[in-house]
Amino acid sequence: MPDPVLTLLKYVFLAVLYLFFLRVLRAVWVEMREPKAAPPGAAAPVAPAARPAHVGPEKLVVVSPEEDRGKEFPLPDEVTVGRAGGCAVLLARDTFVSQLHARVFRRGGDLLVEDLGSTNGTFLNGKKVTAPVTVRKGDKIQFGRTTMEVRK
Amino acid sequence: MTRPPARRRTELGLIILVVFLTGGLYALAGFGKAGNLPANIGPFLVAIFVLLLVAHMAMRHSAPLADPILLPVAGLLNGIGYVFIARLSHHEARLQAFWTALGVAAFVATLVVVRRARDLERYRYTFAFVGIGLLLLPLLPGIGEDINGARLWIHLGAFNFQPGEIAKLSLAIFFASVMVERADLLSRGTRRVGRFLVLDPRYLAPILAAWGLSLVIFLAENDLGSSFLFFALFIGMVWVATGRAYYLGLGAGLFAFGSFLALKVIGHTKGRVEAWLDPWTHANTTGYQIIQGWFAIAGGGMWGVGPGQSSSGSIPEASTDLIFAVIANELGLVGAAALLAGYLLMVGTGLRVAVRCDRPFDKLLAAGLSLVLGVQTFVIVGGVTRLIPLTGITLPFVSYGGSSLVANYILLALLLRISHDTEQPAVAPAELVSVAA
Repeated sequence: MPDPVLTLLKYVFLAVLYLFFLRVLRAVWVEMREPKAAPPGAAAPVAPAARPAHVGPEKLVVVSPEEDRGKEFPLPDEVTVGRAGGCAVLLARDTFVSQLHARVFRRGGDLLVEDLGSTNGTFLNGKKVTAPVTVRKGDKIQFGRTTMEVRK
Repeated sequence: MTRPPARRRTELGLIILVVFLTGGLYALAGFGKAGNLPANIGPFLVAIFVLLLVAHMAMRHSAPLADPILLPVAGLLNGIGYVFIARLSHHEARLQAFWTALGVAAFVATLVVVRRARDLERYRYTFAFVGIGLLLLPLLPGIGEDINGARLWIHLGAFNFQPGEIAKLSLAIFFASVMVERADLLSRGTRRVGRFLVLDPRYLAPILAAWGLSLVIFLAENDLGSSFLFFALFIGMVWVATGRAYYLGLGAGLFAFGSFLALKVIGHTKGRVEAWLDPWTHANTTGYQIIQGWFAIAGGGMWGVGPGQSSSGSIPEASTDLIFAVIANELGLVGAAALLAGYLLMVGTGLRVAVRCDRPFDKLLAAGLSLVLGVQTFVIVGGVTRLIPLTGITLPFVSYGGSSLVANYILLALLLRISHDTEQPAVAPAELVSVAA
């Protein structure tokens, strides 16, 4: 192949190389210009479907008080904890537990616990729960005077 | 999933462009060198397309919301690197092709195994021990091996491997998990000395131990580039975790002290620094490599001499340490600048991922991984262009070197995993209040 053609092709290659980077920059630019709320909003319908509920359902096992030790509560997608009759995790005997004390629920493969404005608070591993927090296997959650452990 | 997110479609478009670019460069290099099309251009095109497509499908499957530009840019750098390696040595090209396939396999495996980046946090001490163990491997007699005065390789059968490359990732994960937990304790003093509150060294102990140990190992192995990379990673991560700029000052001071010590104690270092300050008086010995690199870069000029057309045979370590000089020679300032733009985009994207993260561990890990990529590029390109002393470290994704390639693909997979996690909202705020109301 003659040299001028090779040289020309070299320039073509460099031009396409910069074209590639322009495309990359455009991809970045398009995302930067998006309104701030858009990425989570756009992704929201996809996210729950992308995470099937195959994450083995954990359960709550009472560790203390002594008389209830070993009592198990299964954890479907959402349970409420409290002394009210409708609560799936019913702690009727613990007077330190509020009627509607807390809820434990699943989002995107995570298990979360949220305090629902209880009088005596919910504690995850000894720390007060003020906003929904992720819980993992082995974590200890305290509602009133009852402590439970998350097990699989 | 019915329809791929827009980000994946962008990625696929860029990947197709990468295949064209790499294929075109390979053909051009063949014409430039031998005057005809490379014999294996067909299989070559199929191979890069299949490899990138496999990586892309893995992304669609397990990280569909992740950033769209990291994978194509890495693929482009890898492709350009391969073409230049193939142009320099057929033997190395065959090995590099094998390592590239292994790198993509490691990329896919990382994406599939690490379902959530935050799960790594729980194995922090495992990562610490694995990291230190990997660093120690080359020092073992029998499998360890000295190459060019640095004891970094282990050889198993026909393969040489640099375990230190993987160790960097392992220790970055360890640093991130420990620092996140103690960020508050590190950012303000808790122990009273006289009138001042100072940092309690107890909180830093495990990190300092791991870090000090790895620095000592690197120095025992004579790997100056990696020790600097490690040092910068550590200081950078402490800075990001605490938001205290004085750690940068402290780091600079410690670095100055360490360099002074290394200069006095390690003979290897002295030669490197002398060759850096005045290569011409050592033109036939230690300065030879730098000077040959210079000639190559200068000879390339603005537009380069054309792929495959230079006579870079005179550069020692042309396919590893000095590959940047070879690329600058054949593609010129314009091509070399494009290469650097690629790194800039990758590091910038990595930091953007870190900024968007909600979880502190993910944030710190993303920042740390980007830092590894950026500092490594800086150390080797700075060394080749004589901004800093030249140390043997690979140009990420481009240089010949299997372990580095595999490690960088794992790094990429971790960054993309974090990016996907970040884009996926864990809990929509509206759903949270529905029961409480």
